[in-house]
Amino acid sequence: MRRLAALLLLPLLLQARPAAADLVYVLNSGDASVSILDGFTRQEIRRFPMLREPHHLVLSPDGRDLLIADSGGNEIFFVDPNTGETRRRERISNPYHLAYSPDGRYLVVASLRRNQVDIYDARGPQLVARLRTPDKPSHIAFNPDSRTAFVTLQGTGMVAAISLETHQMLWEAPVGREPAGIAWHRGKLIVGVMGTDSFAVLNPETQQVERTIPIGRGAHQVFVAPDGRSIWLTSRVQSRLAELDPSTLEVRRVIELPGGPDDIAFDPDGRLWTTLRWAGRIARFDPRSGEVELVRVGRSPHGVFVQPRRGEQ
Amino acid sequence: MDFLTNLHDAVTGWIFETLLQPALYEAGLMDFADEIFTWLDFALFGALSMIVVYIVCRPLEAWRPVEPVTDRRAIRTDILYTALSRLGLLPLLAFVLLSSLQAWWEATVADSGFVPPTLETFVPSLREMPILAFALYVVILDFGEYWRHRLQHTFGWWWALHSIHHAQRQMTFWTDDRNHILDEVIASLWFGAIALLIGVPPGQFPILVMIMRLAESLSHANVRLSFGRIGERLIVSPRFHRLHHGVLSTADHGKNYAVLLPVWDWIFGTADFRRDVFPRTGDPDAPEALATGGWLRQQAVGLKRMAGAIFGRTA
Repeated sequence: MRRLAALLLLPLLLQARPAAADLVYVLNSGDASVSILDGFTRQEIRRFPMLREPHHLVLSPDGRDLLIADSGGNEIFFVDPNTGETRRRERISNPYHLAYSPDGRYLVVASLRRNQVDIYDARGPQLVARLRTPDKPSHIAFNPDSRTAFVTLQGTGMVAAISLETHQMLWEAPVGREPAGIAWHRGKLIVGVMGTDSFAVLNPETQQVERTIPIGRGAHQVFVAPDGRSIWLTSRVQSRLAELDPSTLEVRRVIELPGGPDDIAFDPDGRLWTTLRWAGRIARFDPRSGEVELVRVGRSPHGVFVQPRRGEQ
Repeated sequence: MDFLTNLHDAVTGWIFETLLQPALYEAGLMDFADEIFTWLDFALFGALSMIVVYIVCRPLEAWRPVEPVTDRRAIRTDILYTALSRLGLLPLLAFVLLSSLQAWWEATVADSGFVPPTLETFVPSLREMPILAFALYVVILDFGEYWRHRLQHTFGWWWALHSIHHAQRQMTFWTDDRNHILDEVIASLWFGAIALLIGVPPGQFPILVMIMRLAESLSHANVRLSFGRIGERLIVSPRFHRLHHGVLSTADHGKNYAVLLPVWDWIFGTADFRRDVFPRTGDPDAPEALATGGWLRQQAVGLKRMAGAIFGRTA
């Protein structure tokens, strides 16, 4: 009887899925589009066009808007993260990487091709200050009190500190050839030094690199997991994903992930969604089981974001 | 379509990860990775377009040639021009040399408060119609090309460069890319100026671009072919463009300047729609080196002639 009941329930169990699955946004920088995936089925449910070359995206502090920066198109799209509908667009000069200061007051935009960092009043966005920088300002991080923004300068091998109070450059510190991703972690900056095989740990107080963490050639991006229990790194040449212990910064494990892993987003279950730049795929990696699943998206996928939309049937 | 997309991803991914990216890493050029990945697409697409053009044009030239082939060496030079242009080697070199200049220029524009628009800024409804938007970009850029081409024939110094293109007496479908490198740079600046006004067209329409390239190569083909009374007015045919390359149509007394759409010649009074005229091609006033010299020799003579035109001396 139990077997019969199980048999009858099987179709229902197989159909069970979240009433509203997470939405995964993937920016296809090579074909100017955004793929929206169903986080449960991993199917692409929609693809909408950008103008030229979307690379990075950020959620507004109130969670209402997902800002997608189209650097080649000189626009930022303000998208409803729950539906994928574009609410409005703002004309912004070459927005490559962008981030809100932790207090939500400023939106800082790095322009890789125009050697400028723009500071916007987040409410507009209204341009407050434009800083001319050395070659190729790339990725942005902040200290928690929102007083300082840190920007990697790919062309000169430096990290620049910018005061959000005076809107002036405070200092520049060398970190190594072609620095890219950057993250604030417990008073230090972890920087992906793309022209090497290592991440640099920079002390912003002394402006000295205190140590390096070798991961694999083409060290690129760094993300602190939302629960703070791990730090995840990517290397684009050696195609690796690596997990760090957040206390010791020791490498816990390295995962070989062909295709040039780049940006990472975390879903509510702690799984990682990583864009594979040279493979036209996104990888979903489960840190518990070690399982990797690839999903096809557009050309040269770069930025990625997961909008949680849970609620089981 | 899925098969082609997967094949494309696999081929470009393998080439980039195995060959190009490690070389960039060793050379300390990882911050050009995005650009080189894009260039890889360009080069593969260029190679594919050369194959398609060959498959379409070569049988046509064998079928109804306007003239017999007597100078294969001159054709080989044109093939070299085509390879350098369509495999993106010259554009890549120009990009590397000009990228800092471009960053400076774009920053200067940004400092002025001007954010370069796109065509979709002026006509917002085009956002929802990307194919129509691309077609409009093609029309506007083709209009720009018509006027660039007319000016190439108007100014002496510019004609000195462009006459390399016209000096070919053995015109075939390979002749399309036979241009002086400085002429190509000026063409890029011209394109860049238009791009600053209307934006750069999206590059996501490879099939349309391939059709355009096919049309341009076909217009140079050694084939006795016209597109009929209506077709001749819609798209540039081998007959239409051969008349432009005729020996009596050089310098500033030319006809049929259009690159893709003859409508511009129609509007500005430079069209010649006589469908039975297939003149000999070449520039009788050009030095022999421009007709039969190798690539390097033609580049050098072109520069020398341009200097002569500017400083009032004949080269």
